[in-house]
Amino acid sequence: MDQKQLREFESHCIQEEHPYCTAACPIHVDVRGFMAFMAKGKLKDARKILDRSMPFPEILGRICDHPCEQACIRNQLDESLNIHGLEFHCVSNTSQVLKLPKLPGKGGKVLVFGSGLTAMTAALDLARKGRQSTIISSASELGGSILEIDDTILPLESRETAVQMLERYDVTITLNQKITPERITELTNDCDAVLFDLDTISLDILPADRIEADPISLHIGGKNFAGGGSLTGENFSPIKQVADGRRAALSIERFLQNASLTAQRTGEGATTTRLYTSLEGVAVLPQKTQKEQHLSPEEATEEAGRCIQCECMECVKQCQFLQAYKEYPKTLVRKIFNNESIVQGTRQANTMINSCSLCNQCTVICPNDFPVAEVCRTAREQLVQAKHMPPSAHEFALEDMAFSLSDTCSLLKHQPGTDSSQYLYFPGCQLSGSSPETVIRSYQFLCDHLDGNVGIMLSCCGIPAHWAGQPTQFEQVLTAFTDAVNSMGMPTVITACSSCLSIFKEFTDDISVTSLWEVLDSLENLPASTAELPSTMAVFDPCTAREQKLVRQSVRNLCSKIGIEIDEFPFNAELADCCGYGGLMQFANQNLGERTAKAKGERSPHPGLAYCAMCRDNLVSTGKPIAHLLDFLFPDPDVNSLLERPNPGFSGRHENRARLKQKISESLFQETDFTTAPHSAIELLIEPQVIELMNRRHILEEDVRKVIHHVNQNRSYFINPENNRRLAKYRPIRVTYWVEYSEEDSGYRIHNCYSHRMVLPEDQP
Amino acid sequence: MTTFSFAQDTPWKCAACDQPLIPRKMSITYLKSEFHVELMACPQCNMTLVEEDLAVGKMFEVEQLLEDK
Ligand code: SF4
Ligand code: SF4
Ligand SMILES: [Zn+2]
Repeated sequence: MDQKQLREFESHCIQEEHPYCTAACPIHVDVRGFMAFMAKGKLKDARKILDRSMPFPEILGRICDHPCEQACIRNQLDESLNIHGLEFHCVSNTSQVLKLPKLPGKGGKVLVFGSGLTAMTAALDLARKGRQSTIISSASELGGSILEIDDTILPLESRETAVQMLERYDVTITLNQKITPERITELTNDCDAVLFDLDTISLDILPADRIEADPISLHIGGKNFAGGGSLTGENFSPIKQVADGRRAALSIERFLQNASLTAQRTGEGATTTRLYTSLEGVAVLPQKTQKEQHLSPEEATEEAGRCIQCECMECVKQCQFLQAYKEYPKTLVRKIFNNESIVQGTRQANTMINSCSLCNQCTVICPNDFPVAEVCRTAREQLVQAKHMPPSAHEFALEDMAFSLSDTCSLLKHQPGTDSSQYLYFPGCQLSGSSPETVIRSYQFLCDHLDGNVGIMLSCCGIPAHWAGQPTQFEQVLTAFTDAVNSMGMPTVITACSSCLSIFKEFTDDISVTSLWEVLDSLENLPASTAELPSTMAVFDPCTAREQKLVRQSVRNLCSKIGIEIDEFPFNAELADCCGYGGLMQFANQNLGERTAKAKGERSPHPGLAYCAMCRDNLVSTGKPIAHLLDFLFPDPDVNSLLERPNPGFSGRHENRARLKQKISESLFQETDFTTAPHSAIELLIEPQVIELMNRRHILEEDVRKVIHHVNQNRSYFINPENNRRLAKYRPIRVTYWVEYSEEDSGYRIHNCYSHRMVLPEDQP
Repeated sequence: MTTFSFAQDTPWKCAACDQPLIPRKMSITYLKSEFHVELMACPQCNMTLVEEDLAVGKMFEVEQLLEDK
């Protein structure tokens, strides 16, 4: 990612845009922050916010004509916040808290003619910037139009405080001057820039060669600027006068620096905002007090509490990953950018990058389609390429994939007794690992009911490699798949897994793919299910079916055909959550994976029905009663509670896949020639809690067998004489596995397993 | 170079050599980094013991740290 791409990504996320009130405020007062403090009764902190952006809080806080209120989003619900009333309350009960610095003098003499708010603001802003600024006015006191405001609203002290403030920043104030065009020419001779405050200076004494004021710079030619202004016929607006003063001061600053007077100034003054804030779930709560009325402290706190603290965060509200890392996509992409830029030192964002489920839910939710998944996946590719990908993040999942692709599990056959295929059933590695029996039964059903021969392919679509940011491996899997389909005569591929479907659709050309669900839905005779059905179930769409509308519809049709009533709930279908498997989240961040699965299950109180084997298994692990649709269509007579069939775990998946291949080969193709590894004969006795531990630690029974097999020949294990247990280790490739076990008549009882990646001296290559 | 000691009394004995274990200084490695540590090992065949606490505790932490370097 380069700077330009970073900016481009950042601009998608509008979370940092101004809230509606601040955008409408010509001087962008942080109203949201102000309200947050006011709601807590922290008037001093609230005052600090006003001090930061208002030139004269004592004045503006009392008399601002508050265009912000019209923009307040609460108008769409009940009534805007009483922003003006609260500012009034704040400035009447506090005095200045924050004193903005005065920059060191840097030359530049500016004359400001007039005495209204525009003149005062510009003189103050320029003085703060280190310019020598002088106010010259015919009036006997500062204020211009505001002098007409009633004392109960704007007391004398407020104006006196403003004058003191100007004096504190060394603004020279020269009052009671006779101001004529000649005098102006004389005075401005040796100054660098001039501002005319049109609240108190009439147009006819302005320089004769002036041009029409430019709305962006307020430049009227030469070194002259003009703004503010009831004398031009505009309605008197205090905030407009202040905003003009500020705009003119910025122009003069640019003028003195010889910079462009107009470039990049779209953010100044009242603007629109791209922010999106949802009002869903916000209670209707109109204002309790009259707008004109002064607020009591209690009323002020309560009114400020009505502010909904506008922000977007739509994606974060739904995503466990973004919540866990306390990021929104704009901050996330910055962290990823920084992570990539690290040459020496800790790449602290690695785990974060590997924890995204790449499920695209946020992108669908986002008003601007922020592509978080793409950013994270590309960052993974970059880590892999730079050889900085932490080995422990995906190795286990990639080895699992390699196992599915290996000879032990993979298979490619035409329908028994035929030598051509119109269809090719591709159940996918996870269904094969989760429920091999339903693979066999569904395959047989397809053979019996489809017009044309149905071949079968046991393999993996390669999505783990894609997710892991391993383009080369992914490419290999896809090529092998394409070659296989080619060798079968280009049959239509029928997938039972939405991930496989999405991969084949996105990354292969010329291969026709469809889903098992659409195929089943198109058939006249559905399998006669004998399974008992709960009255209402929640169909949990997998995240990879987000763009598979027809698949989701077919699943629902099938449910209604077999008599399942469906509870539709929000954040399903195209907004579905991931189950924790997506993006290999659960491998890089186990706890987050579990939390994500749990959150998905909690979206509906009803028993679940999944049509992705990984969703089914991950959700059942969190205690959610959930079945796979194939469990109902092709129930296993040996399983009585379909909703509680346990997650087979990683070892179970391996075994299921291997056995599935054997079983299909033997029963359908009469092949019996299987070579088995020497260690596979070792009998293991493992209690469920140890199995659970092994799953969490990513240790397979296969690994345990290898350890025992390895040490058995020369007794190279430790022994505990107190209980006769053994402790043995073996490092097949990158991980050292340790097994604590004891020998029993019927096999080896496993007490504990753990592993590490550090290499001991005797295991050095 | 500092050596971190993780050696502590243990009931485990080397089965092949029938020896109680003793503390032994050694260097262990991961991803091009080398650490000098003291672990329990068999005095005869040098087979090293890594107990569960160490493997899933300190060792795991260091592995994770090195992976992000
Ligand atoms: S609700 Fe609060 S943050 Fe939102 S627009 Fe209104 S005042 Fe501003
Ligand atoms: S939905 Fe998320 S990514 Fe999109 S603008 Fe809002 S906070 Fe940013
Ligand atoms: Zn020994």
